[in-house]
Amino acid sequence: MEREWRLFYKPEGDAADLVALPASIVEGRIASRYLLSSRITAPTVIVQGVSHRALVAGADVIIDREEAEKAGIDIAVRGRSGRGEAKVSGTISYQELISRGSEEFECEDVEEDSLVLLLYTSGTTGKPKGVMLTHRNLIAEYRIAEKLFSITPEDRLAGVLPFFHIYGLADILIVGIISGSSIVLIPQYSPKELMKRLSEDKITILITIPTQFLHLLMLARQKPPPLLSLRISISGGASLPLDVFKEFERVFSRRISEGYGLTESTAAVSVNPSDRIKAGSIGPAAPGVEMKVVNENDEEVPIGKEGEIVIRGEVVMKGYYNQPQETAEILRNGWLHTGDIGYKDEEGYFYITGRKKDIIIKAGFNISPREIEEVISSYPKVKETCVIGVGEIGKREEIKAFVLLKEGEKSNQREIIEWCRQRLASCKVPDYVEFRDILPRSVTGKVLRKELRDDYQDPRFREERNESGKIG
Amino acid sequence: MITRIQGLERKGMNLARLVEEKCKEYSNQVAIVYQGKEITYRELNRNVNLLASGLKQLGIKRKDRVAVMLPNIPEFIYCFFACQKIGAVTVPFNTMYKRGEIIHILRDSGARAILCLSNFVPLINEIRPEVPQLEYIISTGERTLTFADPESTGFLQLIMPKDNFLGLDDAYCKIGESLTEICLHLGAKDVQYKDRGSIYSKNRKIAGFIFHEIEDIYILNGIIFLGKFNPNPFLQAIWVPPEVKDKVIEPLTSIEESTGKKPDMDEFLNAVSKSFDDKFGVKLRKGNLERDELYAYQKHRVLVSKVR
Repeated sequence: MEREWRLFYKPEGDAADLVALPASIVEGRIASRYLLSSRITAPTVIVQGVSHRALVAGADVIIDREEAEKAGIDIAVRGRSGRGEAKVSGTISYQELISRGSEEFECEDVEEDSLVLLLYTSGTTGKPKGVMLTHRNLIAEYRIAEKLFSITPEDRLAGVLPFFHIYGLADILIVGIISGSSIVLIPQYSPKELMKRLSEDKITILITIPTQFLHLLMLARQKPPPLLSLRISISGGASLPLDVFKEFERVFSRRISEGYGLTESTAAVSVNPSDRIKAGSIGPAAPGVEMKVVNENDEEVPIGKEGEIVIRGEVVMKGYYNQPQETAEILRNGWLHTGDIGYKDEEGYFYITGRKKDIIIKAGFNISPREIEEVISSYPKVKETCVIGVGEIGKREEIKAFVLLKEGEKSNQREIIEWCRQRLASCKVPDYVEFRDILPRSVTGKVLRKELRDDYQDPRFREERNESGKIG
Repeated sequence: MITRIQGLERKGMNLARLVEEKCKEYSNQVAIVYQGKEITYRELNRNVNLLASGLKQLGIKRKDRVAVMLPNIPEFIYCFFACQKIGAVTVPFNTMYKRGEIIHILRDSGARAILCLSNFVPLINEIRPEVPQLEYIISTGERTLTFADPESTGFLQLIMPKDNFLGLDDAYCKIGESLTEICLHLGAKDVQYKDRGSIYSKNRKIAGFIFHEIEDIYILNGIIFLGKFNPNPFLQAIWVPPEVKDKVIEPLTSIEESTGKKPDMDEFLNAVSKSFDDKFGVKLRKGNLERDELYAYQKHRVLVSKVR
């Protein structure tokens, strides 16, 4: 006998039908299971279209109903799937998993030097490497925060940086929980949401990246900001522009402490103490951390002289997972080699001037892109900039500046060059200026120089640019 | 303060024990504030224990890797501390990573389980054959999204007892082939069933599907792009950060873009009927909702349309 499957054909259905039709068949079958009817095993096929735009969303999707209405979009929201509801095949639902669990659990005996985290970071080359961090590393990082900022159970921290990044994980999540403080989770960042949470949840500690401080300032420029309870504001992940530091102090009457750290050092290794902030500095080495500036032979250089910053202490990672060569290279002579170029002042405060691999060598001079960036950023029309070396490394490198203008501003290459010429030695003045609407960024807001450099070197982009516009 | 320092200085201290002690010390204090809800340290410890014992029952043990692909929601915190209690290693990574990056991390770390949001499940499901050591996908949150557009989308759903297939892999294989055939019947060129759950034409997605299950029933949800799809109006109606908007939708194509003509729904139905006849040797016969189903249908329509 010919096999038949039941068909529902609804060419002009709607959002609700997309959920209700299959759900009703499933539910109908389960309900009639006890009727022992042979009909219940017959498969059913549903072929559907919609007569107007529709959106079927899970219960946690944030929907702007006003916008949806404007765009003529019909909304159907799926119910929360509890135990016994349909789930994606081959998966386990979180609810199902914890429903089997017990409220008591005996901790395994684990040594301090056991691995607790594998965090992948992108190096300058190759695929991301797994940074191995131990219990000892994370506890040592907590100790730094405790000694520097005396965080108490009364504090409320903004959980705005993603926990999948070491900065958010070590300096907000672990520090917050071990201190007995409260962490206000902000899973979907927007400047307005951050400002709202800071104000309504009376957040006392904001640890974040320069971009988010800038966003708060941009909001404050539009309308007077609400009263905030902040007592500690820390910036890290990328360098904090001096004008952001100053404006934040003026607008919010609070100073931002700039800090510095790497995934390989379990986040912060230096921070400006809140009572002695030096603008432009990443602060002195944190308690329990040794930090120095070395030359190519790993010898410490005198105060004020540039070199590579190296770190030693309990916060330094165990190594890169399955990468003995890379590990040996970065952890040589017992020190973590950061690849960051900087110097130390008489009071032990460190300053970053560039990144080892980003250094531009032009006419025999070592040039730090950051120095040029600071000059361009101080031009009133410029919002942000990123400078890279272009051309063949070791032969004839030239300087290229990517510039992002403030909204509504207009400028041209000559204006920028003129500004630099007035403020920099001629070898440091960019050879090319390109205006961009957006700069590629990492998750912490750091501008990705490598991506800019790669796309600059891509011949397809070069053709599009019709590169003849070198500034004379 | 003294207690804290003493705790830290004690030899053999690990994070799990330290956090557990803090949870007891501050049990009535608020640990987490999430969407206006306050979670105390006592509740935090309870939730961590529930997950730790759930993971242990799955067979997750000391030194195992557990990947976490979550934004800052309480489940991230529970999982991080639960892994520590077991002695497992957490491998958190960026929720915006694309397939190549995820495959690299899952393979390199050797993760046995991954905890992710429900909307990332189709993506993890797709790459599963490439990460054979990944045994468990644990999904949380309710963030699935389906865009339906009269100009471009056709839906194919199938509800059937599991025993119509040899297993889940067989189900993915047969339906993948079937949807490929449907695209070919409609005239699409260079159609390939490349990833589990995704059909491509000229390296762009033209159709996708996923299996759900309840008891002994499989529920297939499939979508096919009949006409050119414009996601922009939909993206305005949901909250997506501006910088990630372009990452929400993967490169898509449609039958219309492949053939120059958009098929109508009748043509889509014919292609489905033909393919099911070939693949499963069945004829489709139009039917009606029966009594229990009719009641459930009315109920579900009301439930999903209810304005929150």
